[in-house]
Amino acid sequence: MTADPSISTAPPLLRVLVLTGTALVVGTAASLAAIALVELVALLNTSLLVAPKARVQWESLPWLVAATTILVPTLGGLIVGLVHRHLSPAERPLGPPDVIEAVQFHKPLPGLRSGLISTGTAALSLGAGASVGQYGPMVYLGAIFGGAARRLRLGVPHLASIAIGCGVAAAISTAFNAPIAGVLFAHEVVLRHYATRAFAPVTVASVTGYVFANVIFERPALFRIETPGIAHGYEFALVAALGLIVAAGAIVFMRLLLGLGPALARRVKRPELRTALAGLAVGLTALALPDVLGIGTSTLRFATIDGAFGPVEVVILIIAKIVLTALCIGAGFSGGAFSPALLIGSLIGVFFWTVASGFAAVPTSGVAIYAISGMMGFASAVIGAPLTCILIVFELTRNYDVTIAAMVAVVFSNLVSHRAFGRSLFDVQLARRGIDFSLGRDRAHLAALEVVDYLRTGAVTARPDEPPPDVAARLQQHGWREAFVLDGDGRLLGVFAPGAQDAAARIGPGVDPARLVFDDTTDLAEAMERLRGFVGDAVPVVSATTGKFLGAVSEADLVAAWLDEAARLRKEENASA
Amino acid sequence: MRLLELCLAWALCATPVAAEDLTIVSWGGAYEAAQRQAVIDPFAAQTGQKVDVTSYDGSWTALAERGPAEGWDVIDMLADQARVACARGLLLQLDPGALFSSEALADFTPVRPDRCSVPQNAYARVMAFDDRAFAGVKPTRIEDFFDTARFPGPRAVQLSPDGILEWALLAEGVPPEQVYGLLSTDRGLRLAFRKLDTIRDDIVWWQDPAEPARMLRDGRAVMAAGFNGRFFDVAQNGRVPIDIVWDGRVIGIEVWAIAATTDAPDAARAFITHATEAASMARLATRIPYGPTRRSAFDRIGLNPETGVPMRAYLPNAPQHGGRALVRDSAWYANTEDLRQRRFQTWLDAGR
Repeated sequence: MTADPSISTAPPLLRVLVLTGTALVVGTAASLAAIALVELVALLNTSLLVAPKARVQWESLPWLVAATTILVPTLGGLIVGLVHRHLSPAERPLGPPDVIEAVQFHKPLPGLRSGLISTGTAALSLGAGASVGQYGPMVYLGAIFGGAARRLRLGVPHLASIAIGCGVAAAISTAFNAPIAGVLFAHEVVLRHYATRAFAPVTVASVTGYVFANVIFERPALFRIETPGIAHGYEFALVAALGLIVAAGAIVFMRLLLGLGPALARRVKRPELRTALAGLAVGLTALALPDVLGIGTSTLRFATIDGAFGPVEVVILIIAKIVLTALCIGAGFSGGAFSPALLIGSLIGVFFWTVASGFAAVPTSGVAIYAISGMMGFASAVIGAPLTCILIVFELTRNYDVTIAAMVAVVFSNLVSHRAFGRSLFDVQLARRGIDFSLGRDRAHLAALEVVDYLRTGAVTARPDEPPPDVAARLQQHGWREAFVLDGDGRLLGVFAPGAQDAAARIGPGVDPARLVFDDTTDLAEAMERLRGFVGDAVPVVSATTGKFLGAVSEADLVAAWLDEAARLRKEENASA
Repeated sequence: MRLLELCLAWALCATPVAAEDLTIVSWGGAYEAAQRQAVIDPFAAQTGQKVDVTSYDGSWTALAERGPAEGWDVIDMLADQARVACARGLLLQLDPGALFSSEALADFTPVRPDRCSVPQNAYARVMAFDDRAFAGVKPTRIEDFFDTARFPGPRAVQLSPDGILEWALLAEGVPPEQVYGLLSTDRGLRLAFRKLDTIRDDIVWWQDPAEPARMLRDGRAVMAAGFNGRFFDVAQNGRVPIDIVWDGRVIGIEVWAIAATTDAPDAARAFITHATEAASMARLATRIPYGPTRRSAFDRIGLNPETGVPMRAYLPNAPQHGGRALVRDSAWYANTEDLRQRRFQTWLDAGR
C-alpha cells in the first residue's frame, strides 16, 4: 500500500534523467498506441458500415445497411461479453477508476492480460458502433505503458504512479491535440497533486504525445471551429444558466448509468446477453436515428451549425443518447463516458440555444458557443475535471471568448453536480468500491488503512469466571491496565480494570462495557475521529461478522500510523525530483 | 532516375512490341495539345516509339465500348472513373513498386499510384469572379459565394451536385476533412441544400465547362464555379479581368491507366513512367495550369513558353495558396453518384 521502502533512492541528477527518460518512452508509446486505437476504430467503423461515409456508399442496397445496423452492434456486444467472460481475468472492462486506484495507492494495475483484453474489446465496442467513448480506453491504454515502469528499480520513489500519469497525459494530449489539457487531466483526475517530481515528466510526456499527433503524423484537430466570439454581455448569464441545466442532465445520466448495470444484471444472468441486448437496442434505435451510433463525430459537428437540428429532434436525440450510453456502459461494453458526454452536452446546448433564440427571440452569437459550453459543462461534471475541460476548449478553439464562456458553464455545472452527485462519475464508482475521495486525497489514503493491521501483540484477555487477583497479576506482568473479557466463543463482553472489585470471587460483575470498539472494517480515518475524547490505552478490535475478539490497538500506534501516512503524502506531494 | 530511363529505353529497343503503335487516349482541345508538346512528343523522340493520340469523353463506359476495338493502350482518366473501371476489370493491374522507386512513390502528393492508375496532374473546381463587378471589396472566401447581400449578382453553377455541395458545407464552417463525412448523412445533405436555397434565385446554370468563363466575360454572371484551367485560359488569352479565389478549391486528380485489352503493355508502362517523372509534369504545368502530383516537380515550374506568365501561381495545388482545399474523394464520388443526382433533382424540382 505504501512505497516499497527497500528501494534505495538514486542521486538527484540520475533521478532527473530517469524521470525524463521514462516520460519520453511512455509518452511515445502511449501516443502511438492512442493513434493506433483511433485508426483501428475508424477502420472497423468503415468496414462494419458504422461510419456515415461507409453507409452512404451502400445506399443502393437499403436492406444491407439495415441488417448491418442491427446485427453489427448486437454481435459486437455478444463477442465483447463472451471475451470478457471467458478470456479476461478481471471479467469486466477496465477504465479510469482502475487507473486512479492504482496510482493513488501505489498498487499494480489489474493484470496486463485483463488490460489488453479490455483495450481490444473497447476497439470492438467502438468499432461496432456501441454508444460508448474512446477516451476511457485510451487513458487505460496509456496507463498500461506507464504501469510497466513498476517493474523497474531505478531509485525514484513512486516512479510507477508518475509513469502512469505520463501515459495518461500523452494519451489525452494525442487524442485532443491538447498538450496542456493532457497535463492537467493527469494531475486533476489521476495524480491529484502537483509535485514537481510528477509535473515535470508528465509535461514532457504530454508534449511528446502532441509532437507525435501534430508534427509527425499531422493529424487534424479533433474539433476545429471558427467562431466570431461573444457579441452580447448577457450571453455569459445565459451560459451560466446552461451550466445549471447540463449539470442536471449529467446527474440524470450518471445516476442512470450506475443504476442500469445492476438492474440489468439482476434480470439477465448471462453477461454476454446483456451486452448483446444493449447492442440490439442501439441498432434498433439507429434505424430511425443513425446519430446514436458510435462516437458521433458528425453529430458533434452538426451541433455547431445553426439550425441543423429541429427542437423535437434534438430532445429525442438527447434522451436516446443518454439512455443508450447508460445502457451500453452498464451492460458491460468496453468504453468510456466522456465522448458521449461531449455529444449529449453539446446537444443540450443546441436545445438551449434553440429555445433562447428561437422561442424567446433573444439575439445571440450563434449556436456554436452554446454547443461548446454545454458540451464542456456536461463532460466536466462527468469526469470531474473542470480545469481540463476549460483547457481543452482553449486548445481546440484557440479562442479566448469561447473559452471564457465555456469556463462559466463548467463552473456552474460543477457547483451543482459536485453538491448533488459527487465530484465525478469515477469518484462515485470508486466510492462504491470503498475508496472515498470526496473529502480529499489524504482522507482516502487514511481510509484505505485498516486498524486491524495495527493490532498490538499480547493484549490481556480474561474469562468472566476468573478471580480478580489472577487477572490483575497477568495485567501487571504484561504491563497492561485493562483486560478484555471474552465469553466461551471468544466474543467480547467488556473490559475489566483491577481496583474496587478485588474482593469479589470472579470478575464477571465488575466488567464494564467497552467504551469504544473497532471492528476489522474500521479504517484509520474513522478510528482517528472516534478516538477523539477516548481515555484508555487500547481499543479492542472485533470481527464485524462473528463478533469475535481479534486483539487491541493502542492509541499511540494509531497516531503514529496517521503521522506516517501524512508524512508520506506530504513527501509525495512536495517532491522536487 | 537517369539509370532507370536508360534501362527502360534499352528494354523498349530490345523488345519486338516496340514496333507496335502505342495508342494514347486523352480529352482533346488545349489540354491534349499541351500534353503532346510536354509529354507525348518528347517520349516518342526519346524512344523512337510510334504514338497515336485519340480523344474520348472521359467516361469509363467509353473505354468499355471503344477501347478493345480501337486498340487503346494508355488512357487519361479522372481518378473516380479509373476506380470504377478498375473494379470492373477494364484496366491492367499495375505494380507501383516495380514502376517506381520507394523515394519516387513517397514523392507523389496528395495520393500515390494504386493498383490500376498513376496520378499525373491535379485540376480544381474553383470560384472565380469578374473583377469589374466588385469595385471595392472583392470576394475572398467560399462564404462570399453564398453572400448575396455583400456580393450581389448572378452566380454561374454547373447543373450538377458536383462541387457545390462541398462548398455549401464549407460555407457553414465545416472543416474540409469532415465535409464528405457530413455529406454522407441525410442531415448533411439537408444543410447543404438549405445553403443552396439562399442563392437559388441568383444561380445561372451551365453544362459546358467552357461556359462559366464566358459568362463572366459577357457579364452574364459576376461569380462562377468552374475549372481553374478554363478561367486561366480566358483570363490570359482573352485579356478578361477574371480573378480566382483559391479558398474552397476542390482538387481532382487526373491519372494515367492502361487498358486491360492493350497489345503493348511494356510500351504503355514505359510511357507512364516517362509521363509521371517530375520533369514531364513540370513541362505540362508550364503549358496549362494543371498542377503536378509530385512534390519535386513544383521546383521546376517556370514561365509559360508562349505568354511568359509565371505558372506556379495558377496551379490549383501550388503550396503557396492559402485557404481551404478539399481533395475530391473519388471512391465516395463513384459510389454516391445516384444518391447525389436524386437529391439534386428533388431540390431542383422543389424550386419550380
